[in-house]
Amino acid sequence: MQPILKVNLTSGETEEYVIPAEWENDYLGGASLAARLLYTVLTRDLDPVSQESPLLLLNGPLSGTAGPTVGRFVVCGKSPATELWAESNCGGFWGPELRFCGYDGLWITGKADTPVYLWLNNDRLEVRDARNVWGKDTYESQEIIKSEIGVPGMHVLTIGPAGEIGVLFAGLYCDHGRAAGRTGLGMVAGSKNLKAIAVKGTKKIPLAQPELFAPLRSAANHALKEDNLCHVYHELGTASVVDYADYLGGLPKKYFRSGTFESVGKVSGATMAETILAGTSACHACVIACGRVVRLEDGAKRKGPEYETIVSFGPDLLIDDLAAITRLGELCDRYGMDTISAGGTLGLAFHLFEKGVITTKDTGGLVLRWGDVKPVEQLLHLTAHREGIGEFLAQGSRRFGQHFGAEEEAVQVNGLEVAYHDPRAYSGMALVYATSPRGACHNQSQYFLVDMGQADASLGLEFYDRHAGAEKAANVARYQDWQTVFNALVMCIFANVPVETITGLINTACSLDWGPEDLFRAGERAWNLKRAINNRLGLTRANDKLPKAFLAPYQDGGSAGYVPPFNEMLEAYYTARGWDPVTGKPTSNKLAELGLEWVAQDIWK
Amino acid sequence: MAAIFPSPEWLQILSDKLNSDERYAQIARNWEGDMCVVIEPSGPLTEKQQYYLDLWHGKCRKVQILKDMSSVQPKFILTATYDNISRIMKGQLDPMTAMMTRKLQVQGSMAYMMRNVPTVLDFVRCARDVTTEILT
Repeated sequence: MQPILKVNLTSGETEEYVIPAEWENDYLGGASLAARLLYTVLTRDLDPVSQESPLLLLNGPLSGTAGPTVGRFVVCGKSPATELWAESNCGGFWGPELRFCGYDGLWITGKADTPVYLWLNNDRLEVRDARNVWGKDTYESQEIIKSEIGVPGMHVLTIGPAGEIGVLFAGLYCDHGRAAGRTGLGMVAGSKNLKAIAVKGTKKIPLAQPELFAPLRSAANHALKEDNLCHVYHELGTASVVDYADYLGGLPKKYFRSGTFESVGKVSGATMAETILAGTSACHACVIACGRVVRLEDGAKRKGPEYETIVSFGPDLLIDDLAAITRLGELCDRYGMDTISAGGTLGLAFHLFEKGVITTKDTGGLVLRWGDVKPVEQLLHLTAHREGIGEFLAQGSRRFGQHFGAEEEAVQVNGLEVAYHDPRAYSGMALVYATSPRGACHNQSQYFLVDMGQADASLGLEFYDRHAGAEKAANVARYQDWQTVFNALVMCIFANVPVETITGLINTACSLDWGPEDLFRAGERAWNLKRAINNRLGLTRANDKLPKAFLAPYQDGGSAGYVPPFNEMLEAYYTARGWDPVTGKPTSNKLAELGLEWVAQDIWK
Repeated sequence: MAAIFPSPEWLQILSDKLNSDERYAQIARNWEGDMCVVIEPSGPLTEKQQYYLDLWHGKCRKVQILKDMSSVQPKFILTATYDNISRIMKGQLDPMTAMMTRKLQVQGSMAYMMRNVPTVLDFVRCARDVTTEILT
C-alpha cells in the first residue's frame, strides 16, 4: 500500500507514515487496518474531542481501481457518541481521489487555532483558512471550496454546521450527499476546527499484478451487472427492499412500536421509481448505481432518499410522503447529521411525547403528532443549532432518554441508534446489533439479508429460518467476519460478488496467495481486535444487550408475536466466537489462534 | 393426478392448481403478467425446457411449452439450471435464496417483482404442491 499522511493541525507538521508490511497482510486495509493502527492510541481516558484524538481516513487495497464497488473509504477514531470504537465508511469519489494523490490515508490530530480546510494536490498539502465556509452547509461548503481552488476533478469532504457545533451524530459528507454518517466523527473533525479536506490526484493506483487484475475485475463487473440484486438496486435503489421488509414485519413503524402502517407502499423504492425518480447516481466505478436522483415540485433535481432515510423519516414517524422524506433527508445532509440517528432520536421524542413524559413545555410549544412533518423539520433545525430541546436531541437518543428519565425507551445500543432492520423479523439482527463494535449497526453485518434468504452456501453459510434462535449464532459470526472483510477493502456491502472473485482480486492487487478461508480469518482477526479495543475502552458483556422495545412482540404485521430468544442466542454466540462469558473479552486461546498474542497479553494482564 | 416434473402434463396440473387454489387466488389477486420459466440443462435434463404461463388476477389463463420465445414477450423470464430448479421444487432451496445467491436469474420489472414477492412465493408453494415425482 501507499503511505499514510499524518497531519498535526496544532503544529502544522506533516509526516509520511509507511504501514508495516505485516500489518497490511494481516488486516488488508480500511477499518481493519485502522483498528491495528489506532489500538494503542484509543485509551479509556482519551477525550474524543481533544487535540490528541485521531481522525483516521483510510482506503483499502482495491480502492480507486475499477474493481467491483470499491470506491469507498472509511473514517475511524473514538466516538463521542458511544465513547467506543468509531468507524463509518462513505462512497462517492473522495476516497479514490485521495489514493490518486499517492496516499492511502490521512491521520489527523491536533486542533487549528481557527477554522481551516486541507487542500491535498497530489503530495502537496496546504492548510487553508476556512473561516468563510465555517457555518455553511455541506453542499455550500463543497461548492465554495471547489470554486476557491478551481482545479477540475477535485473532491471535497466536509462537515456541516452540526459537526462544528458538536452534534453527537454529525458526519462527514462528499459528492452531493455521500455520507460517513455514523458514530459522530463529524463532531471530531469540528472539534479540530477542521471544516473540510479537498483532494485531487493524478497518480496511478499501485497493483501488484495489473495484467492479472484487469481481466478479473472486468469479469467481476460483468457478472455483478447480471446479478438480480444489482438489477434491483439499480432500478429501485436500496429502498427496493421496503415492500418485502414490510411484508416480513422487518420495517419499523412508530418508533419500533407498531407492526403495521397501511401507507408503507407509498414510500417504497418501487413507488419512488414510478413517481419522483429522475435518474440514478453511482460511486466511483460502480456498476450498480443505487443512488437516487429525484425531482420534486420545484423542478430541481436532488438526491433521493435511500432505505434508512426513508424509514427514519417515513414509517418510523408514521410519515408517508416521499417528497417530505426527501426534504428531511436533505436537511440532515446539509446540516451534516446522520439520518439514522437523527430520525431515531426524534422518534424517541415523539414516543415520549405520546406517553406524556415530555410536553409542549419541553418542546418549546411544538406538538409532536405522529405523521406530522412540520415538527420533524423544526426539531431538525433546533438539533443542528442545539437550541431549546435541540440541545438534548443533539446528544442522541441515549442521553436524550437519560435527560428525561426514560433511557430504557431509547432504541439504541451503546449510544448508537439502531438501524431500521427489526430483529423481531430477522432474529440474526439481535446478535448483530448487540455485538457490533460501533453500537447498533447494520453495516457491520447485513444479516437481515441472510435472514431474508441470501444464505450463500459458497460463503459457508447455512440457511436458517428468519425466526430461528441460538442455532444460527455461528452463522451470524461467520457473516460478521465476511462483512468485516468488506469494511477492510473498503467494498460496498451491496456487491453480490462471489468469494472466489474477491479473493482473486485481492491476490492480484496485493501479491498474495490466499484462499477464501484466509479472507474469513482476516475478518475474524479484525472483528476480535475491534472487540479488544472496546474492552480496553470499558466494554463488557453487560454492553451486549438489546433495547427494551425489541423484547416486546408486535401485536400485528409480519412478525407478530415473535421475540428473539436473545439470552440463548448470545450464549451460543459467545461459544462460537471463543469469548469469555464472564468478561466479554476474547479468550487468550482465541486471540492466539488469530495471531493476536500481543492483544491477549494486553487485555488479560 | 400426478405427473413427473418437468413435463407438459406437470405444467397442466400446475395450471389447474393455480386456478383452484383459494389462497393463491387471494394473494395473487392483483398480479398482472405472464412469465416464462427457462430450465437450463444440467444433471439428468439434457435439453432446455421453456414453460410459458399467463398469470392474471390470481388465475392462470394459459400454459404452453415453447420451443423458442420469439412468439411471446413475457413480463418476466426466470432462468435456472435444472439442478437448482429441482431443488426449489423439492423444498431444498428457498426461492428467495435462489434469487439472492445467483442461482435463479430474473429478467423483468424489478419494481413489480419486489412489490409482489408474496405472490411469487405462493406461486412456488403451488408448484411444490403438485410436484410429487421429479426427473432423476
